[in-house]
Amino acid sequence: MLLNRDNSGKRWHLRPDGVGKVTGQLQYLTDMTLPDMIHGRVLRSSYPYARILSIDITEAEAIEGVFAVLTSKDVPGLNLFGIATPDQPVFCEHVVRYVGDAIAAVAADSPERAALALDAIRVEYEEWTPLDSPEAALAPGAPELHEHGPGNVLHRTEIKRGNVDEGFAACEHIVSETYYTPRQMHAYMETEGGLFVPDESGRLHVYAATQHGYKDRMQLARIIGCSEEDIRVVSSPIGGSFGGKDELNVQPYGALLALRSGHPVKMHNSRKESVRAGLKRHPMKIEMQTGISREGMIQAHRVRITADTGAYATLGAPVLNFCTEHCLGPYSIPNVDVEGVSVYTNNGVSGEFRGFGGNQAIFAMEGQMDRLAEIMDIDPWEFRRRNMREKTDPGPLNQRILVTDGLSQVWEALDRSELWQKHQYPSADLALPPWIKRGVGAAIAMHGAGLGYGIPDPAGGRLSLNAEGKIEVAFSYEEFGQGLIATLEMMLCDLFYCSTSDLSIIIGDTDRVPHSGSSTASRSTTMAWMALQRLQTPFRSKILSVASALSGIPAAELITGIEGVWHKGQLSPEVTANEPAMNSRVVVSYVDLAKHGKEEEWIFDTQFEYPTTPDNVVGGHYLYTYAAVAAEVEVNTLTGEAKLLDTRHVVAAGPVINPMGFIGQIEGGSVMALGFTLTEDAVMQDSRYMTTNLDTYLIPTIRDIHTNLEVEAIEDLPEGDPFGPRGIGEIGSVALAPAITAAIHQATGVWVNRLPVPRDQLIKPIGVLLQEGVSSS
Amino acid sequence: MTEPLGNFWTAVVNGEEKQLHIAQTNRLVDVLRSHLNLTGTKVSCEVGRCGACMILMDGEPVNSCLVMAYQCVGSEITTIEGLYGEEEGKLHPIQQAFVEEGGFQCGYCTPGMVISTKALLDRYPQPSQEQIEMGLCGNLCRCTGYGGILRAVRTAGETCLSSSILTTEEKKVIDL
Repeated sequence: MLLNRDNSGKRWHLRPDGVGKVTGQLQYLTDMTLPDMIHGRVLRSSYPYARILSIDITEAEAIEGVFAVLTSKDVPGLNLFGIATPDQPVFCEHVVRYVGDAIAAVAADSPERAALALDAIRVEYEEWTPLDSPEAALAPGAPELHEHGPGNVLHRTEIKRGNVDEGFAACEHIVSETYYTPRQMHAYMETEGGLFVPDESGRLHVYAATQHGYKDRMQLARIIGCSEEDIRVVSSPIGGSFGGKDELNVQPYGALLALRSGHPVKMHNSRKESVRAGLKRHPMKIEMQTGISREGMIQAHRVRITADTGAYATLGAPVLNFCTEHCLGPYSIPNVDVEGVSVYTNNGVSGEFRGFGGNQAIFAMEGQMDRLAEIMDIDPWEFRRRNMREKTDPGPLNQRILVTDGLSQVWEALDRSELWQKHQYPSADLALPPWIKRGVGAAIAMHGAGLGYGIPDPAGGRLSLNAEGKIEVAFSYEEFGQGLIATLEMMLCDLFYCSTSDLSIIIGDTDRVPHSGSSTASRSTTMAWMALQRLQTPFRSKILSVASALSGIPAAELITGIEGVWHKGQLSPEVTANEPAMNSRVVVSYVDLAKHGKEEEWIFDTQFEYPTTPDNVVGGHYLYTYAAVAAEVEVNTLTGEAKLLDTRHVVAAGPVINPMGFIGQIEGGSVMALGFTLTEDAVMQDSRYMTTNLDTYLIPTIRDIHTNLEVEAIEDLPEGDPFGPRGIGEIGSVALAPAITAAIHQATGVWVNRLPVPRDQLIKPIGVLLQEGVSSS
Repeated sequence: MTEPLGNFWTAVVNGEEKQLHIAQTNRLVDVLRSHLNLTGTKVSCEVGRCGACMILMDGEPVNSCLVMAYQCVGSEITTIEGLYGEEEGKLHPIQQAFVEEGGFQCGYCTPGMVISTKALLDRYPQPSQEQIEMGLCGNLCRCTGYGGILRAVRTAGETCLSSSILTTEEKKVIDL
């Protein structure tokens, strides 16, 4: 189904957080203030790599209005954080490893005085030459950035099967190419920050964005040296994350300053500080050799991935795992030899980012497919079809995966599309000047959801009838813009035929929600759906049995509906839509039901794990979302500018719960991928950022986007599928880059292997253009 | 214009006269957010690129991170909190269109986006694609990919045109 407002009918559901957002009334956590709050700031390293000789804070402490100045000596617990591997110092003591490293933090009665205090801290360094690339870090004799070694390798991956040398020997054609991808910045509009409030009982209330409140609480407790119950983390609403706020950022400083000063402390990073200290997408170098038989079947695939993970681990290892898994694409390849390495450098820290390493891998693999198809002189889409995995084939890591038709469905849907059909007749528009060239390209992807085999991936949730008579759900997920709350509303209304006014949805507060995992890896919708499937039956039974006891009507004749329990037959979808205030027909209202029995009897909990492959393959996924993308691009060969004209995304992710949210996620992912492809790169020179703000780091504006962007959803799932809708938070962002570069190739003949697309490669000498212009007329 | 007097600052904000004792070198965005508690105006890049802090100053859209307090003394300033519908409790048609078309996700750019749309539609009640792009290219959104925003602006244009929200002067522009 082509997704748009008209086709969505009644499922075009207005977001409950909409009014607050369009009026500016919604308070983000960085908007919060308290009367006696003070302002926190962090002193960051002057050098990307240096030894700290001394830190003198006496002058800063003496400034009037300064409440606290902290260094590593003031960390009561573990002076390290990191979502997977805690190796990033809260405060550096002896060595700094990147320009975002923190050395001290201050809190003062005004932002200006806090800045003054930062300036008054004296740090003496012995500057060292930074390791500004993975090559430099892997070179023999390079200093080791971390003690745990070996060398500067954070993580290695490997997939070997068959015999690649023999495979290549038997090949008719081999394509070798090296692909480079940029250090993309999340560029969420709300920079990191929040309010940190110690209360009279000694508890700390943390109001700061994260994608996993419980994980933040655990890490903060470890740093402070307190119990987790001593901390409450409130973590929604969030002004964008895309993976960039999953790791701790300002929280350790805000928390420690608040506890030391006894005051609420406000932290809010400037954009420049956010760029300097924040996570980025891993820049990668991917070398690929792919060989095919005379018939065009892939026989051998050799891949070497080098990822620049920067100064600290964060999720560098899982990102490399994901990239490794996805660099085989959705293809059957008998002989495979993949090695990946994630390397510590003195560059900015790379971590989790929408697509999670898939973007880089898919750009490279789909690039190979287009090059091979050209050598074979066959249609690139047909070339893909021949090599695509069968639906019962194992996954990329030879692991069992859930059988669906998703891959062939997205392939066929794109094949039928008008946009892709244009591929057959490129650049037919003679009205265009000779320096304007057009082309159409396409790419396909299977993208894993969830954290993968061997990584704890807990899920769960709570469903209750609260004391006010509202159907209440509580999850430890976060609303960072994706529309989770709206989706939850729709799921609950679908299940209980109730209205949104019967609901209470609680997320993002460790005091009020059960531990049900994180909002990452495109998993929240699937997890919430699975939790509600488990909870609905006991919850409904309880409601209907109490209603039956109160009304004398057999439970089998009762049904949940708007405002309470109804007699079956009197509640139809038409009634709910047209007569929302028919409470005279309600047998027992939710408010009355809630008064019966003990409160805890109305609470239902579930705990389970995200579904994983049964095979022992660490990081291997079980559920995949499938997508195909076609893109039409216009290249101005005088300026080298590439403009995306038309795009079609086909996504097979199961039932569309929330069409508005679905469209938004695909459109947003697509434009983020457009930036990844054409303009975005956080440029570092000697391990320092050259692009420090949004005036030099260029994300797409409304002038840069595709004139046309269509989203087609394929909703089929196998009958009785127990996992429900698949996540779509990432799939819109993973396959556009190779579609664009394929289109550029068709338009200009240039094979682009580096992102963002270097404009100078697309400029043609004017003499050639004039000749072409003459001959074409 | 009122003469600045030491650290005395005055302006009409959302129709109300405000007087503050603040340094004249304060940025307007901080005056609004910190001193007047109007946190609907967001702060993001602080170099005038992203438009999250967009407000109307004497009817013109400006980045409030680039305006110093002394530069807007006596001005009429409209923030997102100053936009509302015809009836109490109703949204302005632009805000309503953003809600209905999914013209936001995380919402952090939205107040600035709505303000820029107001300035755009005030000037061009039936904007062309080019005018929309020019009017909103100073506002960055990282979530929506602008699709929902474009649809919202078009819808808002139609609604504003047919409603009585437009002033006589604005209607004159249409006649022209």
